[in-house]
Order: sequence, then C-alpha cells, then structure tokens
Amino acid sequence: MNTVFAGEHLLPGKIGQFFVVLSFGSAMLSLISYYYASTINNKLDTSWRNLGRIAYFINMASVVATGCCLFYIIYNHYFEYHYAWAHSSTTLPVYYIISCFWEGQEGSFWLWTFWQGVLGMILIFTARSWERSVMVTISLSQVFLASMLLGVEIGGLKIGSSPFILLRNAIEAPIFSRANYLSLIPDGNGLNPLLQNYWMVIHPPTLFLGFASMVVPFAYGIAGLYTKRYAEMVKPAIAWSLFAVMILGTGIIMGSFWAYEALNFGGFWAWDPVENASIIPWITLVASVHVLIAYKNSGHSYFTAIFLILISFILVLYASFLTRSGILGETSVHAFTDLGMSGQLLFYMLAFVVLAIILIVINWKNLPITKKDEDTYSREFWLFIGALTLGISCIQIIVTTSIPVFNVVFGSKIAPPTNPIAHYNKWQIAIAVIIACISAFSQFLKYKKTDMRKFYISVVVCMLVAALLTGVAVYLTGIYTNFMYILLTFSALFSIIANGKLLGDAVKGKWKLAGSAVAHIGFALILVGALIAAATNKVISINNTGVGFGDEFAKANNPQENIILYKNTPVKMNEYMVTYKGDSTSGVNTYYKVNYQVLDAKGALKEDFNLYPNAQQNLKMKQIVASPDTKHYLLHDIYTHVSSVPLKEEEHNHDGHSDDENYDEPITHQVVIGDTVKYREGFIVVKGINKNVKIQNLPLSASDVAIGLQLEVVTPQGKTQAEPIFLIKGNNKLDFGKKLDEQGLKLRFSNILPNQNKLELTVYQKQKTERKDWIVMKAIVFPYINLLWGGTIIMVIGFLLSIFRRAKELKSA
Amino acid sequence: MKRGSIIGIVIIAIAIGVIVSTYADSSTYGSFAEAKEMQKELHVVGKLNKAKEMYYEPQKNANYFSFYLVDNKGTECKVIFNGTKPQDFEKSEQIVLTGEMRNGEFYANKILMKCPSKYTQDKVEVTQTKAQANI
Repeated sequence: MNTVFAGEHLLPGKIGQFFVVLSFGSAMLSLISYYYASTINNKLDTSWRNLGRIAYFINMASVVATGCCLFYIIYNHYFEYHYAWAHSSTTLPVYYIISCFWEGQEGSFWLWTFWQGVLGMILIFTARSWERSVMVTISLSQVFLASMLLGVEIGGLKIGSSPFILLRNAIEAPIFSRANYLSLIPDGNGLNPLLQNYWMVIHPPTLFLGFASMVVPFAYGIAGLYTKRYAEMVKPAIAWSLFAVMILGTGIIMGSFWAYEALNFGGFWAWDPVENASIIPWITLVASVHVLIAYKNSGHSYFTAIFLILISFILVLYASFLTRSGILGETSVHAFTDLGMSGQLLFYMLAFVVLAIILIVINWKNLPITKKDEDTYSREFWLFIGALTLGISCIQIIVTTSIPVFNVVFGSKIAPPTNPIAHYNKWQIAIAVIIACISAFSQFLKYKKTDMRKFYISVVVCMLVAALLTGVAVYLTGIYTNFMYILLTFSALFSIIANGKLLGDAVKGKWKLAGSAVAHIGFALILVGALIAAATNKVISINNTGVGFGDEFAKANNPQENIILYKNTPVKMNEYMVTYKGDSTSGVNTYYKVNYQVLDAKGALKEDFNLYPNAQQNLKMKQIVASPDTKHYLLHDIYTHVSSVPLKEEEHNHDGHSDDENYDEPITHQVVIGDTVKYREGFIVVKGINKNVKIQNLPLSASDVAIGLQLEVVTPQGKTQAEPIFLIKGNNKLDFGKKLDEQGLKLRFSNILPNQNKLELTVYQKQKTERKDWIVMKAIVFPYINLLWGGTIIMVIGFLLSIFRRAKELKSA
Repeated sequence: MKRGSIIGIVIIAIAIGVIVSTYADSSTYGSFAEAKEMQKELHVVGKLNKAKEMYYEPQKNANYFSFYLVDNKGTECKVIFNGTKPQDFEKSEQIVLTGEMRNGEFYANKILMKCPSKYTQDKVEVTQTKAQANI
C-alpha cells in the first residue's frame, strides 16, 4: 500500500534515526579502537587512541543530535511520531517538554546514554594513563545503550526501540489507511499529570547521572584487573565512587521529596520495588567507598573492594532490568511499560557479569589479597564489617524485591508481603542501628593499631552524651514505646556526636577529615529524621461521624482517615479548626482552599493559614489526580490532600442524550381526582381537570381532545400549581409534560384510561442532586521531617568535601 | 577458628534468616474460595464487575467504599474497602486486593489497580470525527 499521507513531517525523524544508527556505529568503532589502543605497549603510539577519541566524539555529537531531533518533534507537536503522541500534548507548557523525555523508556535511555557520553568525555580529558583501558568499558556500555534506541529487526529479533517510530507504524488502527489521518489526531495523549511537577524536571536527570556515573568506578575496576594495575586503580575509583554516590543519593532523595510533595500516598518512602531498585546499587557503592579507603590505608580487603565496585554497576543494570522489563507487574505502582526488550536488557547485564567474573578468575592469583587478619581494634576491620552489614541490608532488599523474578524463574506463585513497609523496616532498622554505631566508634579507631585507652574514653563519653540526648529526644517525640526506635535514635545520635567531635578536630586543623565527619552527620540525621517522621506521623483528619455499615465494618476498627468537609463548615482536627473555603481553577488544576486556624485558650487567633491541595479533573475519564499541599514548619509539616471531590459536570449535554437521563426512572400512577401522590420530597394533589386548554402554536380542531390535569405540588417550602396536558390529535396520543425545576420534578399527564375511569400521571424525579460544595480530604502531620531533608543536604556537602580531598590526592599522586 | 571463618558463618546465618523471613512474610495469590478457608490475609487478583453497584457516598461515610470483584476463578464477592474510592477505579483492567474474608465479605486494606491509563495504552483517540474514522 503506497498511500501518500498528508501533513507528515518525516525529515526530523529520518535525521534522528540516522544519528541513532551513527551513535551505535561510532560507539562500536570507539570500543574497537580503544581496545587495540589498550593492548599496545608503546604508549607513544597514539594512532588507535586518536581513532577511539574521534569515534567517541562522533558518538557524543550524534547522541546530542538525536536528543535535538526528538526535542524538535515534541516541541512542534508532530503527532505523526508515536513518542510525541504518546507523551505530549499541545497544551503542555514548554518547560515540561523536557519531562516528556523521561516519561517513556526510549527518552530515559537517551538520557542515560547522554550522561554516559558526557562522563566519557570528562575521562578522555582527565584520566591520562587510564584513558585507554577505562574507555574500553565505557565504550562497550555506550554500545549497549545505543542499541536500546536502534529499533531495528534483524532476523526476527527486535533490537531496541526507536523514539522516531511513526504512530502509524507503531499502532494498528483503521484510520491509518486514510491519507489525511493526521488531521483526525488533533492532540497527543499528554504527559502524566503526576510528572507535571518541577521536581520531575530535575529528579530524573539527577538520578540518571547517578546511574550513569556508576559505570566509571566499574570501568576503573575492570581496567585495573585487565591492565594488572590492581592497586593503582583505587584512588581514582574512590573519587569517582564518591561522585556517583553523591549524585545518585541526591537523585533518590529528590524522588522521595517529589513523592512527598506531589503524590498522595502520604509519605516519602514506600519500599516500592522501583525505589528499592535505585537504592540497592547506592548502598553497595557506599560500602565500596569505605572498603576502598580501608584498602588504600591498610592493604586489607582488596577483594571485597573490587567485588563491591563491580557488583554496584551490575546492580544498576539489574535495576534497569527490573523496572523496564515489565517483570515487576502488579507489585509496583510505577514501573515502565514493557517494550519487549527484556532479552536485550538481560543480555546487557549478563555481558558485564561475565566480563567481571572472567577478569577476576584470570587475575585471582595475582590480586593483592592479604592472608593476615586485621587487628580487631583497627579502623580497616570495622570499615570491612560496616561494608558487610551494608551488604546484608542489600541482600534483604534484593531478595524481597526480586520475588516476581523468582516467580518467573521457578514458576512459583509467591506474593510479596502484604505489609511491605513493616517487613522491610524490621530488617533495615536493625541494620541501620549497627551501621550508625560503627560509623560512630570507628571514627576513634586508627588504621592498623589503636591506643585502647584513648579509644574507650572517647567512645564512652560520646555514648553517655548520646544516651542523655536520646532520653530527651524520645520523650519529646513520643517514640519511647518501641525499643527498636529508641535504639536507632540512640545510635544515630551517637554517630552525630562522635562525628561532631571529629568535625571539631577538623576545624582545629585536621581539615582532611571534615568531609567524612559531615557526611556521616548528614546520614545520621537522615536516619533519625526518617525514623521520627515515619514512626510518629499522625493522620489528624480522623472521622468518626460516618454512617455505620454493619458490625463487621465497625469491628474492623480501621482508622477512618478521610473526612468530609462542607464549604464554610469548620471541623476541629486536633488543635486545628479546618474549613473548606471553596475552589478555584487554574489551567487543568482545581485548587481547593482549605483554611487552618489555631486558637489559643483565650480564643485569640494564634495561627491562620491556607493550604491549596489540588486535583486535576479529567471529565472524559471521570477521575481526579490529586496532589497534596503542605505547610512547612521548622519542626513539623502539615500535609493535606483531597481524596475525593465532586466531579464538575460538563457544561452542555451531548447530542443523543435525552433530557430524561437527568431523572430517575419515572413512576406511573393511576389516579382519580382528589388523590394524593407521594414523591421523595413531598406530595402531589390531583385537584381536577381542565377541558378548556389552549396550547401555544398548536391550533386544535373540533375532533381533537386536549385536557389539562390540575395538580398542586406540596413541598416543605410551599405549594406550586402545575398543569400537564394530554392531547388526542387525529389518531395520535400526545402529551405535554410540565417541568418544575425548583422541585426537581417533571410531571406528565400520560394517558387516560376510560375503562377504569382513571387518569395516568407519570412522575419524573430529578436524580438526587448532591451538594457540590464538599471535599473529602486527608491531613497528616509529619513531625521533624526537616531533619530528613536537612540531613540530605548536609550529607551532600560532606560528599563534596570528600571529593575535593580525593581529587586533590589524585592530582598530587 | 579463624576470625574470617566466624564472620563468614555469621553472614551465611543472616542470609538464611533473610530468606526465611521473606518467605514467612510473603503472602499468596489466591481466590475468594481460598480466602474463605484460610482466614488470613492474602492477595486476590480479579476484575471489577462493572454491572454491579459501586458504592461510595462520602456524604454518608467518607471511608466506606464497596464494589463487586470477580476473581480469576470466576467467583464474585463483595469487597469492602476502608477508605475513599481510588482514582480511576472504573478504568481498571485488573485489580489486586490485599485483605481477608470475614462473614462472606472481603475486607480489603489495599487496592492495587492495573490501569490501561491513557498514558500507557496505545489506543488512538480520534476526536470529533470518530464515527467516520472507524469506517
């Protein structure tokens, strides 16, 4: 079929596809060139290296060009392209067009390959003697990522998914046989409203930069094994691992802040498989940073260090397999849709697993592994134990997250825990206690051998202070009923104090140690902030006024966490007087103004603020997408979201809908004069009949019969007269009903039954109109959540300080 | 014994603990019939019966939502959820409930929907001229 389609813009797609293929080819060339460059012993021979560089530059340029083409297509709303149609719409503000990139798999692969490209460029210019060997791995990874965007079929095998595929090729539908099909597709599907949030503009790029930068320590690890520069690779690997850990950690927390600010699940972390998939490699890389440092200072734990570096990137690949292959199925709320690329993703991961295993096996005998045990009172020993504990934390998360994978592999049908948060917390709180304690006391240990007396004095002093503060903290926050919570608070405070002491020393001159101290303080604050906010957050919108639904429902005794608010009717929630004040619409969002007031004992106004939780109403889909609004205080937050709102009615009726649809099923009564007919809000009295009816614009001949039925409608508000008409014109029976809008009634005199001597009255009642001025909302108080966000910022500062220190060491080396 | 071996044993012990705990906490996918027998929490997968009433009247009780679900074995059961009606509920293609059976009614504490939401489903929506376009 050779239809010429009207209005298509095929050029940008063709250019884009050309650059996709070019990026794949150039990555391949770069891989081959760098491989040969790395095998040449003569370092002055730069021919292969130069070719590798040129190929890599072309790769970078074509990746950028691919992104530009895709942006051009989305920006100009060329809905003939599936990607633009599926992820954007004409109404989308320009700054969210960037978000369209990462709503789909192809765009997020592009983002990943872009960042990896940038990191490769940095390495080309800074890695010096490492360039050749490190760039082999980077190029290999770049080949795999480029292949994800190829979208070609070779021998029935689909390789990659191109973002430039045309809508008419992606989907089968009859309209595509029409040459002018494009004119029938005025708009795209649009961006998921939840992604239309400014955090969604910066969270995915940060996260993907984090994922992408994990490849650098991996590449150093591989290069170290491959070129037998086992110990040399440690320094650059530490610096790059710190960078990856910092960026990925920031990205993860941004995601959790986005969830807290824009999603209505009422929390910041839910142990969802997608969240888990991103935190697992972060934890292993944090562990590897510590072991690398231990090795650098003591010569111990080389294997653990190299293993952790290698496994971290493999876990990134596993994470992308989990989230992109569709294997998580119904266990996750926000995995990508399946593009049928599971095989390719698995191949990507297995290729790197095999590469890592082969290199370790080949080099096993030469690895600088010590046979001697570390001293128990040495820092390296406890760094090692800390790393192992982090490893256990990872294993626990991986095992539970991978339940759907086990189901596929073993054909079992296990469901994930019904209460995942409790399941994960049970393990992770205990692990966090150990980690926090180790991060506290190991700061007083020295490498190789420690003066025991000094060590114990410092530790005991810090513990005493921590215990004292713990008592105050658990009393203030009210978490003293749970032993594990007390223990975690204690260990986090212990860590803050111990590292605080270290920071004090740093200020006195030992600047080198500042980064580690600050990062650990930040981490401990995250622990304690997350613990308190998660353990003591309290739903204040408790509603006990609802109608009961039987004993069983009452016995369930679940908290009634949603409350209905009628407009301008204040409701007391804890100390707050909460009033719904009305809604306003701006763009696609409807904002519900909710006023909070706090009165002191004398009745004077102490606090008064408004929150504007919003909901996007989608009339076509009859659904709302709600986003919360939060009042931030220094020590707590008040979080509010609407859970249900009356749907706004569409302005006008569609064609083909009859007026009767607005009414309940009519009820027909056979009546005689003097009868009373009941209806929902009142009753109707049949007063009499009127034989002298005149109907406007309808002349009646002598043979026609027109009779009016005189009715009186009585409601609590008063009486109204109505006179529906029955008409026989020629051989046709007709009738003219009477509408009483105020009473919500339509009355028809629908027939005369001469045999029974009765009259037929049909009563239509308006569907029970709901009051449209209410919202159902949920309000939660999150105490001390700022410790969590503040701790994150402090931890990032700590990482930055450490990166500066390690980068300096690299330069001086 | 060397300290390395002790550490190794401890790690293995904990790893076993992890697996056992995961298995102990894990739930099962089942049907309403199994839910009736087991009397404990489990996952039920099924489809919403759109012909039957979905009840959510926030003015009466903002935390009571009931509907009828047909599980994968074809059994229908009334489901009661202590909360608001989830967004986009009617559109759901498949529903996963977590909860337990009590007196012939299924009390769900979690509802997970698989929606062919307009953001993921490849169904071309032709506005205005639908009737013509489908010829």
